[in-house]
Amino acid sequence: MQGKSMIVDTSLCTACRGCQVACKQWHGLPGTKTKQTGTYQNPPDLSADTYKLVRFAEGRKEDGKPYWHFFSDSCRHCLDPGCMAGDQNNSIVQDKRTGAVLYTQGTRKLNYRAVREGCPYNIPRQDPRSKVLCKCDMCIDRLRDNMVPACVQACPTGALHFGDRRRILHKVALRVVELKKHYPKARALNPQDVRVVYIVTDDPDTYFELAEA
Amino acid sequence: MTNHWIDIINSDCVLIMGSNAAENHPISFKWVLRAKKKNGAKIIHVDPRFTRTSARADFHASLRSGTDIAFLGGMINYILANRKFFQDYVVNYTNGAFLVDQGFSFSDGLFSGYDATARKYDKATWSFQKDAGGVVKKDPTLKDPRCVLRLLQKHYGRYDLDKVSSITGTPVEDLKAVYEMYTATGKADKAGTIMYALGWTQHTVGTQNIRTMAIIQLLLGNIGVCGGGVNALRGEPNVQGSTDHCILYHILPGYMKAPNVAMPDLNSYIQTCTPKSDEPQSANWWGNYSKYIVSLLKSWYRDAATQDNDFCYSHVPKLDVGQNTSIMNTFDLMYEGKMKGYICLAQNPACSMPNAGKVRQALGKLDWLVHANIFDNETPSFWHAPGMDPGQIKTEVFLLPAAASIEKSGSLTNSGRWVQWKYVAAQPPGQAIAVGDMVYRLVAKLKELYKKEGGTAPEPIQDLYWDYGDGKGGFDPLATAKAINGFFLEDATIKGKAYKKGQTVPSFGLLTDDGKTSAGNWLYTGMFNLAGENLSARRGKADPTGLGLYSQWAWCWPVNRRVLYNRASVDPAGRPYNPARPLIAWKDGRWVGDVPDGPWPPMANRQKGKLPFIMKPHGVSSIFGPGLVEGPFPEHYEPVESPLPGNPMSGQRINPAVKLFKGAADPYAINDPKFPIVCSTYTATEHWCTGAITRWMSWLTEAMPQAYVEISRELAEAKGIDNGDKVRVLSKRGAVDCVAMVTYRLRPFQVQGKPVHQVGMTFNYGWRFPPDAGDSANLLTPTVGDANTMAPEYKAFMVDVVKVEEAKHHAG
Amino acid sequence: MPKFTRRQFLGASGALAGGLALSSLGIPLGALQAHARDLSKAGRIKTARTTISTCYYCSVSCGLLCSTDQKTGQIINIEGDPDHPISEGSLCAKGAAMFQMSDHNQHRLAKVLYRRPFGTEWEVKDWDWAVEKMARNIKSVRDQDFMYKNAQGQVVNRLETIGHMGSSKVDNEECWLITTMARALGLVHIDHQARV
Repeated sequence: MQGKSMIVDTSLCTACRGCQVACKQWHGLPGTKTKQTGTYQNPPDLSADTYKLVRFAEGRKEDGKPYWHFFSDSCRHCLDPGCMAGDQNNSIVQDKRTGAVLYTQGTRKLNYRAVREGCPYNIPRQDPRSKVLCKCDMCIDRLRDNMVPACVQACPTGALHFGDRRRILHKVALRVVELKKHYPKARALNPQDVRVVYIVTDDPDTYFELAEA
Repeated sequence: MTNHWIDIINSDCVLIMGSNAAENHPISFKWVLRAKKKNGAKIIHVDPRFTRTSARADFHASLRSGTDIAFLGGMINYILANRKFFQDYVVNYTNGAFLVDQGFSFSDGLFSGYDATARKYDKATWSFQKDAGGVVKKDPTLKDPRCVLRLLQKHYGRYDLDKVSSITGTPVEDLKAVYEMYTATGKADKAGTIMYALGWTQHTVGTQNIRTMAIIQLLLGNIGVCGGGVNALRGEPNVQGSTDHCILYHILPGYMKAPNVAMPDLNSYIQTCTPKSDEPQSANWWGNYSKYIVSLLKSWYRDAATQDNDFCYSHVPKLDVGQNTSIMNTFDLMYEGKMKGYICLAQNPACSMPNAGKVRQALGKLDWLVHANIFDNETPSFWHAPGMDPGQIKTEVFLLPAAASIEKSGSLTNSGRWVQWKYVAAQPPGQAIAVGDMVYRLVAKLKELYKKEGGTAPEPIQDLYWDYGDGKGGFDPLATAKAINGFFLEDATIKGKAYKKGQTVPSFGLLTDDGKTSAGNWLYTGMFNLAGENLSARRGKADPTGLGLYSQWAWCWPVNRRVLYNRASVDPAGRPYNPARPLIAWKDGRWVGDVPDGPWPPMANRQKGKLPFIMKPHGVSSIFGPGLVEGPFPEHYEPVESPLPGNPMSGQRINPAVKLFKGAADPYAINDPKFPIVCSTYTATEHWCTGAITRWMSWLTEAMPQAYVEISRELAEAKGIDNGDKVRVLSKRGAVDCVAMVTYRLRPFQVQGKPVHQVGMTFNYGWRFPPDAGDSANLLTPTVGDANTMAPEYKAFMVDVVKVEEAKHHAG
Repeated sequence: MPKFTRRQFLGASGALAGGLALSSLGIPLGALQAHARDLSKAGRIKTARTTISTCYYCSVSCGLLCSTDQKTGQIINIEGDPDHPISEGSLCAKGAAMFQMSDHNQHRLAKVLYRRPFGTEWEVKDWDWAVEKMARNIKSVRDQDFMYKNAQGQVVNRLETIGHMGSSKVDNEECWLITTMARALGLVHIDHQARV
């Protein structure tokens, strides 16, 4: 199965957070109460109410000028999902057509901690009320109707790009070559293992410590 | 924008300055980043702060707030010293070759003609030498010491790199890098664009900031071309349209002057307002003034407006000469108790006006306040704000529930002048109705009352044509749009073609000054074709030029011309300067491409050809611009509140023509050691303006919940402030508590050899909602504004920042 | 038709996404899955009325597609219009949140509110009352303060004690009615967001 894939090209991301909000809009997820703690990043983390989160990381480059990295974080939809490892009763499934990793209502019976620890990107979250586990579902209902995921639809700059996996991997390779001319550190993160492939132009951990597995 | 959003893709260099486009016009970055991919365009961001825009730029240079003219003046100097300008363009299409009056001079920060007592210039010498026939004298070789370009060189020769750097705080290497990258567009086949916004307009020298860049664009031949232009990224969904329709004291719909007492009748109005030129090849389009004003009066007063009664010109209110009733003056009078009623529709001055504390007090001195909006905000609720005692406030308040944009049909004009029609997606909640419905009903009621009861000066109200009803008590947007477009009011034959009474006028070229046509706004004439079709509703996707004009998508003013002054994109023979991006071209005796700026042949045709800048009296664009109040060449002056005791450029510390407010409620911190830190205000992607709408949306308040101040690591260390600490920002006018965001993205500047710190705050918050959001940054800003426009100075003023515990300790 | 949010729906009717996935894995789910398919959001959008609109924030004017449930008349989804040549279907955080501007937002003003002089709370009024009262207020000031001439005896025909502000947040046609009303009243204190 080739299925679908997504590029997250951080070199094009402006952190407008269209993806973060479009995800909430489509899924009917609430805005939660947050506090300003000295960062643009809010809510602070993924949760049962937030499947897509733009992470912000800043620092100072060698020349003394600042950098500000944006990382539109969500489920990578692994080809061999670690979160499924301990699931005996098909409550976590991979969609045949797209390869999307989907959490069903049955996940309420799973060991949350084990599922979360099985994910190298720390994505799964539990709804504290229903105990159901949740995360990005690749907008599977949109895909069925030939729409792209809500986050991809919203993205202004093409930082998020969706399509057939073979084509996407080809584009990733081309883009990395192009970026390397100006950014020697440019590369794709775990492209062979995940469906949501991030392209970075700096060390991955300067974006987010779990950017790469 | 002279150009439009998609056109950014055609640029070779995008300078973003006075704007944080990625955050405040996020979709513009689709086109900015495509220009980079397609043309290898360089993206430059010049801003005090490193923002989300800077993060995607190729180069970021920081400058101290309020020093843009120094920064850009240095670029003009660089262009002239290194001969980077596009000589043909300068000679043919600008006033660079014009000879300036012998009496014009500049010395120690002042131009000739200054009256220090009145803080005003007599502009008599800011003019051109003319021959006996009234034609301006020129030197196409640009060698005459009195020609504009030589005077420009003299003026900006003073802005050398070290001087500029010592004012702006920008390192010399960064200045050089920006100058070099941007001035590379001074070639015929290269285009550079400027994206600016309120970071330029909201200064005491706002208009001159833009003028400085316009001069650069003219020197480089970047106006009128694909991928170029002077592009104001306007900030509100319909601020282009609301400006076109002139909800402004000083202009009438279509940018016509508001009458004053020196123009007592229509003839004197037309004589005064119509520019004259003896330049043989100038189209001088404003020569049509009489047609536009008469058509406007006919649209307002229809049958009551006749040739015999000056088309009801006397009904239009007249200002005194020099009377300025812009908003800061209005609130000053309101504060003094001189205003009785105020109608405030969909705007939140209690948070958006400078010195908002004074504004909130002023609202309490009204007899009544009318406000319409889709959510409550700090303005209608001012009487129960913290610290207010409702029992002491007399103001009657009407808070009217409005329909949201998705609940009403009508058009919005975007920054690229595209007028786009939209439709009703759902009914508004409860009693909410469109603002247009409210205005329609209110005027209908007033007409009824004046008819029934009489009153003072009933004629302007009784004579007003007001047949815009939808038959259900509200207004009909489509009928109103047609009235704005205008009608033939009688059967007429114009230029050999017959038109029927009642038809919509398809082009402003057909408007007349004899009362046979109406047009509520001449710029919008042509939005409907002769058949009455609404062109703003078009959704055609054809793009035959491949330049992204999309001429059949919606409609844009004027006459669907997508790039203004496009005749400057061709040489005098009509050949595109850049054959790779031919916006228009003269082929086989006609223009192809975009709708040209007038039908005339290229200007090489000495009999029929016209100069490209048709809205300018002389047909050329102004490097020497005598229209502004503080000088024909922009000059650096310090903000009214500045970290420097004087002005490194001259003995004039501040803009010599700026109005200073003298009341006790409007103190300024001038050389006040208690307020040593420069502060600037701005907005973030996730909120909009004062947050009056977005603070009620949980997805947005989740992302940006509370007021914050961005502080450099260096300042935070000096002040003992940690990231996330609660701090108090204080100015001479007020104090705001918020959260400290300690960041690498701001750095201290080296100004005149000393460190100057700058902090920044968003003005997105207010006390009303959410309850813990914090209050408005405009409690801090000063009541002072641009000397030409009176746009408030929100971008440079002086503050101090202290930890809240310490503030309490000091207070105790 | 009962009102429900997507979230409540997921909780109530069983795993929508999971159900579909299981179906595509070949595991039959019968009636439950069919029900889910009928009421999936994408499915509801297919049967909804689609309206073209324009984003209400900055001046890029991105295209919107609003989906309105034919039965309830309520907006169920707002997203970018892929056909729009500028925005090509994209939206920033504010544009993507346009749904929260609809009447789903419990904070929307839905009643005419009035605060009397020295009053301590809002009172609910109707439109007829409010229009009459506002018109009377305007007329009373205008009748009293309208200036035919200034101190120099020049004709001015203006009213200086009522001001108008706003708005660039309303449609062109509304702006034009506003500018027209202001001039007909004789106002000179006329301004809006273009300056601030």
